[in-house]
Amino acid sequence: MAKVTITVNGEARTVSVPPETTLLKLLREHLNLTGAKLGCDVGDCGACTVIVNGKSVNSCLMLASQVDGFDVLTIEGLATTDQLHPLQTAFEEKGSLQCGFCGPGVIMSAKALLDEEPDPSVERIRDALAGNLCRCTGYSKMIEAVQAVANSVNSHPSVKSA
Amino acid sequence: MKRRGRGIACMWYPIGFTASANPSAAVVKVNEDGTATLLTGTVETGQGSLTVLAQIAAQALGIATDDVHVVSADTDTTPMDTGAIASRTTYVTGNAVMLAAENAKKILFEVAAPLLGVEPAHLEAKDHKIQVKGFPQRNMHIGDVAEHARGVKGTPPIGSATFNPAVLKLDPETGQGKPFATYVYATQIAEVDVDDETGEVEVLRIVASHDCGAPINPMLVEGQVEGGISMGVGFALQEEMLFDSSGRLINPNLTNYIMPTSLDMPSVEVDIVDSYDETGPFGAKGVGEPTCVSTAAAILNAIHNAVGVRVTSLPATAEKVFAAIQAKRAQEAKLVTAG
Repeated sequence: MAKVTITVNGEARTVSVPPETTLLKLLREHLNLTGAKLGCDVGDCGACTVIVNGKSVNSCLMLASQVDGFDVLTIEGLATTDQLHPLQTAFEEKGSLQCGFCGPGVIMSAKALLDEEPDPSVERIRDALAGNLCRCTGYSKMIEAVQAVANSVNSHPSVKSA
Repeated sequence: MKRRGRGIACMWYPIGFTASANPSAAVVKVNEDGTATLLTGTVETGQGSLTVLAQIAAQALGIATDDVHVVSADTDTTPMDTGAIASRTTYVTGNAVMLAAENAKKILFEVAAPLLGVEPAHLEAKDHKIQVKGFPQRNMHIGDVAEHARGVKGTPPIGSATFNPAVLKLDPETGQGKPFATYVYATQIAEVDVDDETGEVEVLRIVASHDCGAPINPMLVEGQVEGGISMGVGFALQEEMLFDSSGRLINPNLTNYIMPTSLDMPSVEVDIVDSYDETGPFGAKGVGEPTCVSTAAAILNAIHNAVGVRVTSLPATAEKVFAAIQAKRAQEAKLVTAG
C-alpha cells in the first residue's frame, strides 16, 4: 500500500491505496469525490480533468502516489453551499451543457485557463478545451460561457479571487 | 495554397411517425399552492425536453415554468412513453402535456365560473390566476381555485391525456400516403478552406437556418443545432468505424476514432425560421435529429466549390480530398496534352 497525503479542495487528506491506484480512482473511490468522471481511462476524453498544483490534468493518467504532497482542486471545490463559481453560473445561464458528462472536466480546464490567463482570446479558449471531448453541444455555448466569465472578471476585478 | 469555398445543402425531416401507434401520455395535477405536477414517461438526455414540457404545461395553466414539478421516466409512477427518439418529444409528448394541462384547467374553469359569475368559456388562466377575459381584476388565485375544486366541489383538478398522431397505413400498391404527422425544413451553408497541397479541409463557418415550428425554448433549439452541426462536421471529415478483414472493429476507442474537438468546431450562426404548426403544442414541431442532416452535404459542396472535386465517400479525409485533386490535375494534364 502507498500512503498518499494530498490537499483536496483545501483540505489535507491522507489515504493508503494500492500502488497502481490512479488519482481519478483515489478521488472517486477513496475520497468519494465523484465529480471527475471516468470516461475512457486512457487520457483521450478529458472527463476526469482536475487541477493539480494549478495545472489541468487528466486524473486517469496520474498515479495517486505522484500527487503526494500536492494541491488538488476538483469540481466539488468550486461552489460554496450558497454560491456557484462564476463559470458554473455562466454554463448554467448559457445552456452550455446537455448530457453534462463532460461538464466537470470542461469547467476545470476552463478554470485552469482563466487562472493563468484572465482575458484569453477565443483561440486560446478553444485550445484549452481541446482535450475535453463533448458529443452533445458542439462546444459553442461552452466557449461563449468562458468568454462571458473572462469579460466579467475583467470588468469586476474583485471576482478574480473566486 | 488554401482555397476557400462555400456550399449549401437543404433538407426536410419527418416528425411524429404515423405508420404505427406512436402515443405519449401525460398527467397534470394542479396543486393547492398554485404549482403543478407533471407526470411524463419521456427521458431527459440533456436536450432539455423536460424544460420544454414544463414550459408547455406552464403556458397552458398560466403559471411559471419553475412552478411545474416534472416527474419523468419512472414506470412506477409515469405513463409509458414511446421514447425519446425520432425527434418526437416536443411534438408528440408536448401535445399530450398540453392536452392534459387543458383537461386540468377545464376543471378549474368549471369550479371558478360560478364564483366569478360567468360561464367557463369566458375564463382564462394567466399570471397564476383564473380570471375573466377582458376583466382581469375579476380573478381568483389558481391555488385557491384548486383548493376549492378539491375541498368543496370534490373534483381535484387533475387532467390526463394521450396524443397519438393518427395511424395512417401507406397504400400497399403505390407506397403513397402520409407517413408522418408533420415535417421540418432546414438549410445550412458551410464555408471551408481546402489546402490543395495536402487535401486538408478546415470548416470555418456554418450558417444554419432551421424551421422547427414555433421554438418553445430558442436557447435549447440553438444548442441542439450547434450539437448537430458538430456531429455533421465529424461525419463529413473525421468519423469512421474501421474494420479488419475478419470484421473486427479496429478503432473502438477515442484515440483512433476521431471526433470533433473544440478546435474543429466552426463558428456557427443559428437562424430559427419564424414558423407555426397548427398541429403542434403552441405551434412547435421538433429539432433533434434534423440538425445534423445538412451539414456533411454542405461541407462536401463547399469542398467542390473550393477545389472543384467531388468526394463521394465519407469521411472526406485529407487523403481522399488530395487524391481527388491529383486525379483532377492528371485528367486536366491529359486533356492539355491531347489538345
